[in-house]
Amino acid sequence: MAGFINTPLANLGSMCVTALVTLAITLIFRTSFTTNFAQGIISAFGAYIASCAITKWGFPVFVALPLSMIVSMLMAAFVDVVLFRRGRYVNALSKQIITMGLISVITGLTPVIFNEVKEQKYEINPIISGSQVLGKMTNSAGAGVPISVTNANLFWVAVTAVVISLIFILLRYSKWGLSVRATASNEYVAGMMGINTHIVTAVSWGVAGALGALAAFIRAPEASAVSTYFMTDYQVTAFLAGILGGFGTFHGPVICALILPMAEGLIYATLTYITEITGMQDLNNWSKAIVFLIALLIIFIKPQGIFGKKVEKKV
Amino acid sequence: MNRYLKKNYALFNKETRANRGLIDGVKRVAKNPTSQYLFFGIVVCLFGFLVCTVFSRDVKALIPKDVFEIIKMITGPGDLTDFATTFIFGIAAIGFCLLMGYSGLASLGIGGCIGIGTYSVHFIMTEAGLPIIFALLIAVGVALLVGLVVGFISLRIEGIYLVILTLALSEILRTVYSAVPKYATVTYYADFSGVMGLEYENAVRLAFITVFLVVIMIITTNLIKSPTGRAMLAMKNSTAAAQAMGISLIKYRLMAFVICTAYAALAGVLYMLVIPSVTATDPTGPYALITSLNILAAVIIGGYKSIWGALFGTFIMWGLEKVVFLKILKIFFKVFYDGNPTAEVQNTVNVMITVFSGILVIIIAMYFPGGLAQLLTELKFKISKLFKKMKEAKYGKDLG
Repeated sequence: MAGFINTPLANLGSMCVTALVTLAITLIFRTSFTTNFAQGIISAFGAYIASCAITKWGFPVFVALPLSMIVSMLMAAFVDVVLFRRGRYVNALSKQIITMGLISVITGLTPVIFNEVKEQKYEINPIISGSQVLGKMTNSAGAGVPISVTNANLFWVAVTAVVISLIFILLRYSKWGLSVRATASNEYVAGMMGINTHIVTAVSWGVAGALGALAAFIRAPEASAVSTYFMTDYQVTAFLAGILGGFGTFHGPVICALILPMAEGLIYATLTYITEITGMQDLNNWSKAIVFLIALLIIFIKPQGIFGKKVEKKV
Repeated sequence: MNRYLKKNYALFNKETRANRGLIDGVKRVAKNPTSQYLFFGIVVCLFGFLVCTVFSRDVKALIPKDVFEIIKMITGPGDLTDFATTFIFGIAAIGFCLLMGYSGLASLGIGGCIGIGTYSVHFIMTEAGLPIIFALLIAVGVALLVGLVVGFISLRIEGIYLVILTLALSEILRTVYSAVPKYATVTYYADFSGVMGLEYENAVRLAFITVFLVVIMIITTNLIKSPTGRAMLAMKNSTAAAQAMGISLIKYRLMAFVICTAYAALAGVLYMLVIPSVTATDPTGPYALITSLNILAAVIIGGYKSIWGALFGTFIMWGLEKVVFLKILKIFFKVFYDGNPTAEVQNTVNVMITVFSGILVIIIAMYFPGGLAQLLTELKFKISKLFKKMKEAKYGKDLG
């Protein structure tokens, strides 16, 4: 029973990472009208920068984070200016393919830039360590199992909440946010109304790059190593969350990005409990498949997503 | 053939009194896609047997050492395995080409579907010991079901969302494969040495896979040129207009997805014959997202409307590195530095190849949406126009 509360609490970091990546993908999807398959590799690039800064150049941990975010922001904005500005009138599938080519390019360049060290890892645990014990529950064996959440998870939840709230406040109340929403609604008309869509798109890519770098920074200490593909799983989950929430809004995908890892954690705990009771082996490996299947079912029932808007097609 | 057809057989085959000569006959055969594919398959098989013969012990003793060194630098039995891997992904790419170029749907679920093939080989051949035909039937059967599921989903959801859903489906399949640790790694050791001996094993394996590839190419071309293919093309261009013309969207969408999935499953079965062990949790393995993306890139580079294009694109993504670039690197080092390239240089070249293929994908997606096939067609057109101009300059304008 303790697992039902402990597992989602342990998944808090995962939820933050997924939410950040999903927000980044949604921003790019709505302003450049393409799914960014390169989001994972750009985030991983940010993690490489952070880990290089911490392990090689000896920067303190909380200087490396803004550094990696700024570099990722510049890189993503550069990608937009160089590639997507030229390819604005290319059709949607070709834009996706451009992002795919980008994966190869960045995957190839990363080991070269970072001196062919393909995998590094860093620890931020010395800074935020330990965990808070919230209570105790007795499990089926009669022993007391503490319900705890690590300080790191709490800290990252706070940071993610602040960052995501900041982005949503900017989207709703600032001029940039208004420009983004206008561009997302109809790019040509936004241009005609005097919005500089070039700058809007470039800044959106930059923000997406920074969010990705933050997500990778949170993920890196828990991963076994920082490699070029360590964010791929989160990217796939983020895409699914985006569709489940509906790309028609900004908040839909983010909410679903919080729900999916939590659901996975709960199902994992349920399967572990069932394993304890019945003795069937390795049930909890199926948790991800079950969550994805349920998500597919929901999407099948409501194709535009839970929070999405129905688009009327004109003939 | 009834009498009407027989009378008009000549016209049907574009044969007139004017072009009944030998050269015209050869040209007609050469233009026929089926004969082109057969010729390609025969050439590849012969090449494979030639290489294996040259490297076999008896013939090796007859060739002088220096010549043999040069031959070893250019090609070798290892190349045949690389070609086999390229052809396997080529089969999957042809399925994808049919889906994207002729039905207008994209699916990133190829990785998971390759798993259907590998797992059916594992369960049927490694564990139960039955011959390959059963593995093929089971793989295609399961792929049929998966294709039907995806097809039904595609009726509700369109465009970019469908792409992401197929991606999610592929991830579900991959998670299912890695869920039970006992079956997370599948193995099958294919022994082709019984046919012609150990030295010809690579050639026999390559020939086996080439047979499948050629058959798939012929089937797909015939499908494209048939009324089914035309219906799919109509469906791609405008679903509303196709429905107005009486084309059943359900039937052709399902057919397209089923064929694509079946080809991917076939590719999976053949993959197990070449690579003896596959792990499901490997993020760079054949079930991962990166494989589906590479096949998409291959089809785009080669031209998504052309079967030769799909094959060529697959060669660029999978074959170019090992078969061409590494050789050039080794030859370069041998000639200029009289040694072997160090690991560092090899790594740098690997990196450059990855970057190069990425840049190629980007440039082709931006400026040549039809891929290299379109580029070649335009080039051919421009060259023929050039020849026509030269003829006009020499002989004067064609008065018809």
